[in-house]
Amino acid sequence: MLALFSRSMDQPPHIMVVDDDREIRDLLARFLEKHRMRVTAVRDARDARRAWANGHYQLIVLDLMLPGESGLDFARWLRGQSDVPIVMLTAMGEETDRIIGLELGADDYVPKPFNPRELLARVRAVLRRAGDSVGQRHDGTARPLRFAGWTLEPARRRLLNPDGAEVALTGGEYDLLLALVERANRVLTRDMLLDLLRGRQAGPFDRAIDVAISRLRRKLEDDGRNAQLIKTVRGGGYVLAATVEHA
Amino acid sequence: MTFRFWPRSLAARTALVLLVGLIMVQAAGLAIHAMDRIDLQRLAEVRNISFRVVGLYRTVELTKPEDRSAVLGELHHGPGLRAVLSDAPPVDQFLPEMPPEGQRFWRINLNLVGMPPPFHWRGMQILGGPLWHRIVIGLRLPDGEWLNVTAPLEPLRPWHSPTFLAAFLLMTVVAAGLTLWAVRRLTAPVRTLAAAAEALGRDVNAPPLPEDGPLEVATAAAAFNTMAARIRRFVQDRTELLTAIGHDLRTPITRLKLRAEFIEDDEQRGKVLADLEELEAMVSATLAFGRDARTSEPVEALDVAELLRTILDETGDALPDVVPRLGYEGPPHWTVRARPLGLKRALTNLVSNAVKYGDSARVRLVPPASVGAAGAMLTIEIEDDGPGIPPGELEQVFEPFHRGEPSRNRETGGVGLGLPIARNILRAHGGDVVLGNRAAGGAKATATLPV
Repeated sequence: MLALFSRSMDQPPHIMVVDDDREIRDLLARFLEKHRMRVTAVRDARDARRAWANGHYQLIVLDLMLPGESGLDFARWLRGQSDVPIVMLTAMGEETDRIIGLELGADDYVPKPFNPRELLARVRAVLRRAGDSVGQRHDGTARPLRFAGWTLEPARRRLLNPDGAEVALTGGEYDLLLALVERANRVLTRDMLLDLLRGRQAGPFDRAIDVAISRLRRKLEDDGRNAQLIKTVRGGGYVLAATVEHA
Repeated sequence: MTFRFWPRSLAARTALVLLVGLIMVQAAGLAIHAMDRIDLQRLAEVRNISFRVVGLYRTVELTKPEDRSAVLGELHHGPGLRAVLSDAPPVDQFLPEMPPEGQRFWRINLNLVGMPPPFHWRGMQILGGPLWHRIVIGLRLPDGEWLNVTAPLEPLRPWHSPTFLAAFLLMTVVAAGLTLWAVRRLTAPVRTLAAAAEALGRDVNAPPLPEDGPLEVATAAAAFNTMAARIRRFVQDRTELLTAIGHDLRTPITRLKLRAEFIEDDEQRGKVLADLEELEAMVSATLAFGRDARTSEPVEALDVAELLRTILDETGDALPDVVPRLGYEGPPHWTVRARPLGLKRALTNLVSNAVKYGDSARVRLVPPASVGAAGAMLTIEIEDDGPGIPPGELEQVFEPFHRGEPSRNRETGGVGLGLPIARNILRAHGGDVVLGNRAAGGAKATATLPV
């Protein structure tokens, strides 16, 4: 975590929240501030453009349904300007919105009504990925990642087996696998991985990591005792041992 | 009382009645025909023999008594006919006298042939008859001598006409064929109506029935379509209302969740968040129910075995106490084609239901016996150790908003949409789900999915 958030330790990340509901906007701003983030909250796309011109932001939390110009249109405009990460707030369960949102270059989506801790976990995960791979981030976010026959589709947050069939993943498992795949052949410490699961799962976090890793191994048909794909590193960490291709 | 051979289908019943009637009419026709032929044959025979007997008699009477035997020997009698002169009326140890009924018939015919007045027999005796295949007619001459003629009677041949029988058979077969065809045609609309009612039960948006054909059929189809439209309107109104409520509830729930994060008391915050989770689950269920099961979500290949294990993992993460009573049995991987989010929701609902009412969920995945066969079904069984379901409610629990006995609702929550949603989704996939009670206690949900 120290390595991941070295920058945020010096200076909290600046987040722009765009939501037309005043209460949600203010409460969300307070909630994120409570978790050491700097927040500017605006009510629509017009105000968001003005704020964008006058500030420097590490991440945008954007409601899809805005009065006037829609969130999608604003996201499209923003992508023309910058690679700033976008987390979209979508209508619950409306699959088409979320796919369009992700294809337009949003980095993640959270369905409303969201669990604030879930949103925080997603924001942190997106910040980590952005901070970790500045420059090369946008040539790969929405494109499928292939490793050892498996395909991870970030645009739809899903894993396909070598036969092309979807293998169910929980939100935490997906984030964990994406982190491992994006940094294939590099050791991820338990602290880094713990950060991904925080806010998602009940119970002690230490165990949550081991459980999530063992489930991932089961799903990837990686024999737990003699794991070849997700290897355990002595001293507390995991590494994905595979060549990753951007499809 | 039911007949063992009484068929169940309307077409078969109608056809059976008509065919039995046809066979009876044809049998009667055949009997009449046979009797007619017998009468004709007899009449022809009687006439024939009568002519010859009368002819013989005249010849004999015209002949002088001393020449009679010689003349009789010279005469050609015709096939089978034997004539002798005797001093006595005919006697035959094997032939009794003909019964009076038959005698009258023969006498009438012999008299009918008749002869000019100077000639007439002075007495007559008839022996035998059709039963003995021959007849003996004795005629007394004026001088007391008897002319006794023995004639064979042909056996009766009521069926002696192959063309008639062939025509008759052909007629019967054609009539039977026409009957079957007509019955099938006439009962087809009933089958169409039944299929349409079945389709409507599965999907209120099923296409309407064509309103054509005979008047009664067209009227029934129109009435059915009107009914379907009313049901559709009713369902639409209700789902639109639900969807509107669900949408409107999202904003306040989001606010409350954010507010809850600022509650200092950990215990209170936990409780508020748990309540909100439950509220959200209800809204989410309401929205899922309101949405058409055939959403735009595409059908894709997915590993249903892994999906089931993931659902169990998530259930265990949320409720660690239940983990020892969760289990999966079946192949480690099994690929089906389905709508991923829909199927996950359906199976999650079934597992949640088992955990909610039975505090346990043992899932078994049974692949179809023969893969690739038409109509092959994958079976997913979810068992729990709960109190089971009263037999009368096994189907009712799939009704929207049905929630079993009222007392347990406050404890277990839910709006009574979990099972209806699961059934809607599975049926939209071409499968289904039913509930049953296990012999060992507890309930068992059996879901099927085509492969």
